[in-house]
Amino acid sequence: MDAWWQCEVPYPFVPQEVLNATDSVRASLPNRYCDPKVAADLFEEVIDEFLLCDDLGLNVLAVEHHAGINSLLGANPLLVGILARQTRHVRLLSLGTLISLRKDPVRVAEEYATADVISRGRLEIGFVKSGGTEMASNNANPVNNIERYWEAIDLIKKALSHHDGPFSWEGKHFTHRHVNIWPRPWQQPHPRMWSATGDPETAAEVGRRGMVHVLVLRGPRAPSAPMPRIARRAPRPACPR
Amino acid sequence: MSAGDLVGGIDLEVLRRGAGRPVLLLHGAQTVDPRAPFLEMLGRHAEIIAPSHPGFGRSARPADFETVYDLVHFYLDFLDALPHEKATLMGFSFGGWLAAELAVKCRHRLDGLVLVDAFGIKVSDRETPDILDVFNTSPQEVQRRSWHDPATWAPDLDALSDDELVVRARNWEALCLYGWNPYMYNPQLKRWLRRINVPTLVLWGASDGIVKPSYGRIYSSLIPQARFELIERAGHHPEIEQARAFVDMVVKFLNR
Repeated sequence: MDAWWQCEVPYPFVPQEVLNATDSVRASLPNRYCDPKVAADLFEEVIDEFLLCDDLGLNVLAVEHHAGINSLLGANPLLVGILARQTRHVRLLSLGTLISLRKDPVRVAEEYATADVISRGRLEIGFVKSGGTEMASNNANPVNNIERYWEAIDLIKKALSHHDGPFSWEGKHFTHRHVNIWPRPWQQPHPRMWSATGDPETAAEVGRRGMVHVLVLRGPRAPSAPMPRIARRAPRPACPR
Repeated sequence: MSAGDLVGGIDLEVLRRGAGRPVLLLHGAQTVDPRAPFLEMLGRHAEIIAPSHPGFGRSARPADFETVYDLVHFYLDFLDALPHEKATLMGFSFGGWLAAELAVKCRHRLDGLVLVDAFGIKVSDRETPDILDVFNTSPQEVQRRSWHDPATWAPDLDALSDDELVVRARNWEALCLYGWNPYMYNPQLKRWLRRINVPTLVLWGASDGIVKPSYGRIYSSLIPQARFELIERAGHHPEIEQARAFVDMVVKFLNR
């Protein structure tokens, strides 16, 4: 069993009367209520905790949420980059860049390959579809989110594992005429991949692809209980690592 | 060659040649060279009307005119302004893409369609490009793949005048603007080609290394009344490399 530490860097300093009056604290609360000095202190504290985990041998996990008080980690790759350099021993899981929100998966592949190299092979890549508030604040169409999700993962995987010069991608959601990332990742063929999901169809696909399944629970009524079983049952190729 | 045609408020260069059935010719990456022998040959059978697309040649391009969507609607204006009730639409390469889009939208104004080594659709899987990316390939390689006989036909840029080089630079910039992404195709076009209900001739240079004849065969199969013909010993520009054979096939089609 592996143990992982995470902190989402919430921002608990907005006055209660402001929170009571706003329609959403996860997308629409004006950022004037975010004091950058307080945010800097929060980041410093949380990153110190991550570094303590490195001393203690506890793996670390960096999430991503956007535009709300529940988490200041809108820019997951930045934290992953810091952790890749500042930690020395433990594994790092990015869970993750919200891949269906990012316009350019090739850039995501570059970020991950770079973090994997800086950390000398300690990166694990998690993919997350994101939810309603994040779709709104990132201008992402919710209807074809799943299509985008898998196409982005396919493109990232190829960008990480293709080493024979530029290739071109003309997909439904992404086109990229010249993909040839440097550096390539430390881990071959690519860092282990995780996928977070709360629906049975995606869980089965996660299993088929041999990715690590992350169960997302959404409250007591969410129909999530059988999901790990579905992921385990799906026929799968050999795990890449 | 005439300049100063005003269509849709855009100052347009239009090359006109010959007499007979009207043929609206949409050029490819380069504007039509007025000295090209196929013009004279085809002009004995048809009235050729060959505008330079906005941004190409000496045609103006308004600052906010920058998509194939704009070009297609511009040519709908152009068709409206033609004195002829119907015309044959012919498109080379990039202009073939425009011709296919127009034929889908405005079939009632056309009595025939000729696509020559045309771009416009996506045929292969997402990891296999159909059309050579001329913006991401060395100029020497682009020339090698453009012609059956590059030694004879590849242009000698050093021999061109400053004016001709400026036109080429404009053409290159405009092509890049319109065709950059997705590269030279409209993902939705394939589905609508079935609307083209006029006789269609799809011509392809057998040695085309920019976009292969196999792509042309699929393109043709998606248009109900289309016939596919190969032109031997020609690359991406059969109207230049095999002008005689090209004109014979087009004339036969016009006189069908």
